[in-house]
Amino acid sequence: MTEMKNQAQDAIETILAGYEKLGYISDEQIATALFLAQKLEKPLLVEGPPGVGKTELAKATAEYLGLDMIRLQCYEGLDESKALYEWQYGKQLLYTQVLKEKLGDLMQGTTSLDESMEKLNNFEDVFFSEQFLQTRPLLQALQNEDGAVLLIDEIDKSDDEFEAFLLEILSDYQISIPELGTVKAKKAPLVFLTSNNTREIGDALKRRCLHLYIPFPDAPRENAILQARVPELNQQLRDNIVNFVQAVRQMDLKKPPAVSETIDWARTVVLLNMSVLDADFIRNTLNVLLKFRSDIENVEGEIARLMRETQLTPDTPIQ
Amino acid sequence: MIADFIRILRAADIQVSPAEAIDAAAVIEEMGIGERRLLKHALGHTLAKTQFEKQSFDECFDIYFKPPEMDMGEATPTSQSGDAEAPEPDAQSQDSAGDATDASDADEADSEEGDAQEGQTGDQPGDPTGEAKKSSKKSGEPDSDKNGEDEGEAERASLVDMLSQKDSAALQAAISEAAQKVGLADAKLFTQQGMFSRRIMESMGLSQLDAHVRQLEDKGESDKADGLREGRRQLFEAVFDFVERQIAMRTKNAGRLLREDALSRIRLSNLDRSDMKIMRGLIQRLAKRLASRHSRQRKKSRRGMLDIRRTMRRNVAYDGNLFELSWRRTKVERPKLLVLCDVSGSVAAVSQFFLMFLYSLDEVMPKTRSFVFSNRAGEISDMMREGDMDQVMEKALREFGGGSTDYGMSMMDFAEATLDTIDHRTTVMILGDARSNYGDPGHLVLKEMHERARRVIWLNPEGESSWGTGDSEMKRLGAYCTHTQVCNSVKHVERVLDDLLRLST
Repeated sequence: MTEMKNQAQDAIETILAGYEKLGYISDEQIATALFLAQKLEKPLLVEGPPGVGKTELAKATAEYLGLDMIRLQCYEGLDESKALYEWQYGKQLLYTQVLKEKLGDLMQGTTSLDESMEKLNNFEDVFFSEQFLQTRPLLQALQNEDGAVLLIDEIDKSDDEFEAFLLEILSDYQISIPELGTVKAKKAPLVFLTSNNTREIGDALKRRCLHLYIPFPDAPRENAILQARVPELNQQLRDNIVNFVQAVRQMDLKKPPAVSETIDWARTVVLLNMSVLDADFIRNTLNVLLKFRSDIENVEGEIARLMRETQLTPDTPIQ
Repeated sequence: MIADFIRILRAADIQVSPAEAIDAAAVIEEMGIGERRLLKHALGHTLAKTQFEKQSFDECFDIYFKPPEMDMGEATPTSQSGDAEAPEPDAQSQDSAGDATDASDADEADSEEGDAQEGQTGDQPGDPTGEAKKSSKKSGEPDSDKNGEDEGEAERASLVDMLSQKDSAALQAAISEAAQKVGLADAKLFTQQGMFSRRIMESMGLSQLDAHVRQLEDKGESDKADGLREGRRQLFEAVFDFVERQIAMRTKNAGRLLREDALSRIRLSNLDRSDMKIMRGLIQRLAKRLASRHSRQRKKSRRGMLDIRRTMRRNVAYDGNLFELSWRRTKVERPKLLVLCDVSGSVAAVSQFFLMFLYSLDEVMPKTRSFVFSNRAGEISDMMREGDMDQVMEKALREFGGGSTDYGMSMMDFAEATLDTIDHRTTVMILGDARSNYGDPGHLVLKEMHERARRVIWLNPEGESSWGTGDSEMKRLGAYCTHTQVCNSVKHVERVLDDLLRLST
């Protein structure tokens, strides 16, 4: 028992450290989920507000494991011909056109209709072979020799039918192509599904996945993220930025700033070579942080208060 | 143990399928049960699949795996009447919560395996009731010194030993185990608390303990007897508390579910103010269910049928070789809905909930326009989409409510605003009691709408028996409706909208 526990714990700590090296600051929750996803070979459904690094997590995982990342962006109307495979109809047709001329030669020597039908029959299989198969992300992920990281991004944007269609792939890592038979994964890919919760995901799909919710990070973690992502920034400014953003998140906003916005804002600070965060600068660059007119107006009125609360004196600059 | 925990989760409104339960078992195997925090994360990922569920899961996990509190103070190393060699002052029984928790997590799991070996009950010191002890506990070692060697096995020691050694960890484990044995998991009511506490105590060997105390007294060692009595009292408190927590956890949601069920049937006009909040949650959930059911049907476009005509036409450019195929698709229309709601007096409550429900369905019925009226009608669609329900209703009541109901005038207003847009895809819904104060009921306007619209549905919060009585014009207005229906509870509202969505696909 204790041995097992240590293994799991060690593995999780290794994951934590490994991701940190790649610039992705995770926490124990995330690391546990990653560990389980690998161990149980189950897809991981990642939810959370936009911009907390759901997609980034998949990218970091691919890098961490040294696997290819295959990404499938979902949208309304996505169907299996775009997600899985498609027959290259045009190519097939071209080949028939070319072969038409040869048909006479081919049929030479056949005397009866049956005989020629049989000859043609042999042909048909050629036309529905992998040669004419256009593989799409899902099939690619299954066919990858070393396994892959498959990212199905924003699954909530797709239709219900597509969701149902994913079930077979996600539970057995195989897919049926009527003309070719069942394709089974050579090595189960590590699947990430992300969702912004614009739509409730079906229970059947949820049941097959592990579920990870990534909330907005707390101050220490956000600080660490900034440190990893924008290393040019000095300690003082980083603290200020993080505190300010955390305070803004407390307000009632349409879309609170996410980590990606914090990073953008930090980059702005670096780019403009600011040495302090002052009220003017904040006012002028709020549009980096907030994406709605009404939100910006809301926050603008509160800048002084927010700065006070985060120990940024509006008038006297901090050295 | 997992099964029982999952039952608790289900009681707390977390959907856990059998497959997920299997996953949970696999997770435990993978993670081990040593690290409580990691286990919690891991099970959370496996079992709770929404943010809401995560919250309840965390609560349940904390309560469920929180062992019965046995605060016996520091273990006293003084050995008692040669019952046992004093164990080395064990780290576990220090009442630090975290420590004890981990330990008894493990113990709880162990006890399942332990059940199997229950047959070989050993002898017990000072135990007059020979039969009772079989059900009580697995006393492996008769007051032996092995006890000292292995703290994990301490649960096998007798209650007397545990109490006299103040071994809280072992006692906690024993309580959990006894609880399992007497079927605490089936407890449903608070009134059962006393009974279950008693049973647990019995199962832990209360009678032996009492007998032992009596024996000690007979022998004249009354201070030891008092010590044990004190221990017994503490134990009883701990068990009582444990049972209370367990029952509370299991019944937490039962009451709410009952209440919701009752609320969905109650007449909306009789609704209490305090129930508004529950109601809102209920409506949101019902609406979500309805929306997901129907959004699926909406996109039913037929695939696989070749549209030969269009294919030919498109491929003329390729010399008649069929390069581009076009498929036949059926387009499923979303219902176009016009709603007119009475917001005067008695009907207002029903209207409010009806509108609330309607706008929760925005996802499947985005083309809804709604109007409210009492003496004049006015549109509130935009308000509804943006604002908070209560505010909107209040505003609507202020603007359009108040005056006495005037159906004729309101119908005119409604028709003026909408008649041009009514076509064969439109459904018109009117919610009102059809009591026109002996004025013009507006049936001529309704007739016109009826001719243009796909269907006109009248929802009346009054029972059918009172239609046409007094100033009710239901009979006259009903003649120009495709469908009339009583509607005064959330159940009704749900059914009406469900039918509507089904008809329009």
